Amino acid sequence: MAITLNIHRTVADKKWVQEYKVELKKGMTILEALNEIKAMQDPTLSFTASCRSSICGACAVRVNGNAELACEVLVEDLVKRYKSETLTVEPLGNFKVLRDLIVDWDPKFDRMKKIKPSLHPKKEFSPEKGCKQSIADFKKYDEYAGCILCGACVSECNKSTVDEKDFLDPFTFVKAAKLVLDSRSRDPKEHLQAVIDAGLWKCMKCQECTANCPKGLKPAEAIEKLHEATFKLGLTSSVGANHAKALYDDIYNTGRLDESKLSIQSEGLVAAALRAPFAMRLMKTGKLDPFEKVPVNPEINKIRDILKNAKEAE
Amino acid sequence: MMKYALFPGCVLEGAAKEAYMATKKVAVALGIELVEIPNWTCCGASHAQGVDELALIAINARNMAIAEGMGLPIMTVCNTCTLELRQAKAKLDSDKNLKAKVNEILAKSGYEYKGTSEITHLLWVLASNPNVFEGKITKPLKGVKVAGYYGCHLLRPPKVMNYEDGKNPESLEKIISILGATPVEFDFKLKCCGFHAFFTAERDVMTVTGEAVDSAAKAGADMMVTPCPLCQMQLDMYQPEGRAAVKSKVEIPVLHLPQLIGLAMGMSKEDMGINRHISAVEKIK
Repeated sequence: MAITLNIHRTVADKKWVQEYKVELKKGMTILEALNEIKAMQDPTLSFTASCRSSICGACAVRVNGNAELACEVLVEDLVKRYKSETLTVEPLGNFKVLRDLIVDWDPKFDRMKKIKPSLHPKKEFSPEKGCKQSIADFKKYDEYAGCILCGACVSECNKSTVDEKDFLDPFTFVKAAKLVLDSRSRDPKEHLQAVIDAGLWKCMKCQECTANCPKGLKPAEAIEKLHEATFKLGLTSSVGANHAKALYDDIYNTGRLDESKLSIQSEGLVAAALRAPFAMRLMKTGKLDPFEKVPVNPEINKIRDILKNAKEAE
Repeated sequence: MMKYALFPGCVLEGAAKEAYMATKKVAVALGIELVEIPNWTCCGASHAQGVDELALIAINARNMAIAEGMGLPIMTVCNTCTLELRQAKAKLDSDKNLKAKVNEILAKSGYEYKGTSEITHLLWVLASNPNVFEGKITKPLKGVKVAGYYGCHLLRPPKVMNYEDGKNPESLEKIISILGATPVEFDFKLKCCGFHAFFTAERDVMTVTGEAVDSAAKAGADMMVTPCPLCQMQLDMYQPEGRAAVKSKVEIPVLHLPQLIGLAMGMSKEDMGINRHISAVEKIK
């Protein structure tokens, strides 16, 4: 079976989609298909790849709108998934394209510097005594050390697509979680404050980063761990933290979300007042009833005990 | 007869009351028995988790424990509730120590989480049991072009939301076709409506909201339908701001999944509470 790859090409200022046909062999990866095209059909096609073992992270591309490691994903699996013998291959999304499927990492590394991405050990550590931690402490961030910086997580990130300037790349949040959760770190607060300032609470929670990570890391969960750390380390003066706390408090108070108070709790009285025209719109059709009181759950004391006992168990 | 413990979720008791009305009416008509989980609490809505994850796993373990006591699988009608319940269940069922820790917390309030109730969503129940529609589609939606908008949390993360391949799902189109309507392909089908970042990234949220609606309208859709009440609220209530953000001219109605089903079963627009919506209500006949 011949498959068609429509490859998005960029050379200098010129952009076009070029069609290539490749004979599908069993077990063929997207990278093998690209290599075959380059070797047999078109030596001008440019892409990056190195290890061919899903370790180096150099070969991530976008196929039919989703980031994949070219060396790992099988063409036959994609043909099955999309029920089509024609696939579209593009460079990763949310990157500057240098040429064809090659993207520019330099701006990404510059952005990463915002979080001070290196670990400064606590004073008690020394070259003589080493820098030890318990297995339990190691496990808190171990998973995040598996990031191969392939860029797949940011390719479909909905927030980054709209505006990346006041946000970080998901892989940078992963790195930040590692630094904040590492018990050897001298000042997790310093990293965390930098992450907050760079847009921690602006995540849309679309889970695309987690869905596209070829190493099975969960950048969206790393962001949640960073949210949680803001409460543990007392860095909670923000609308995002207020909003999270408002929902937590609603569960504590009644067991249920109180929509009518959400804006006031999250943004404060003045900002909430500015939303009055919107509230009127909802009241007109009966969507919002400002006088409706959320009933208190009959088991509220048990619910409060769960919240309190969970806090103590940590 | 199919029977489920229903986890309605907060918004079905609030701003999306019409989705609850429609769910109940449609379930009765399709012969699906729903028993509301007594004294359920908010799932944390993906936000309270950011305050204290363990507490929210325990809170959702309590929700699930009550349903286990009813001896029923859990059905939800909100994507985020589905995700938060399934996420808690996945963590509890794969980590003995966590399960023991959470059960210790729950025991003090008199509950025990066992892990015996599966968690599903209305869309999944219907897509797996298309026979429930047999002979019930009395007013097929012939010629109506419907853009099915899945919503993130029914598709991702794929390990937890694994009913179907989240990168090329088909369940919603399947239901739209069963109802006699024509599913419309559009670029924003699997993208984010922005709901969860409303308070923190409002400008960006209005852009994605507007793009989703605009993308459906440009693909020729007469209306959108979604299995998630949060997406529905975002795309409907904030459609004026969303359309302004992307300079989109066409206003289109956005229905909750059970409302679209109700219409195809001959129920009225009023029965389905569509008059409570904000955008292009008049376009629904």
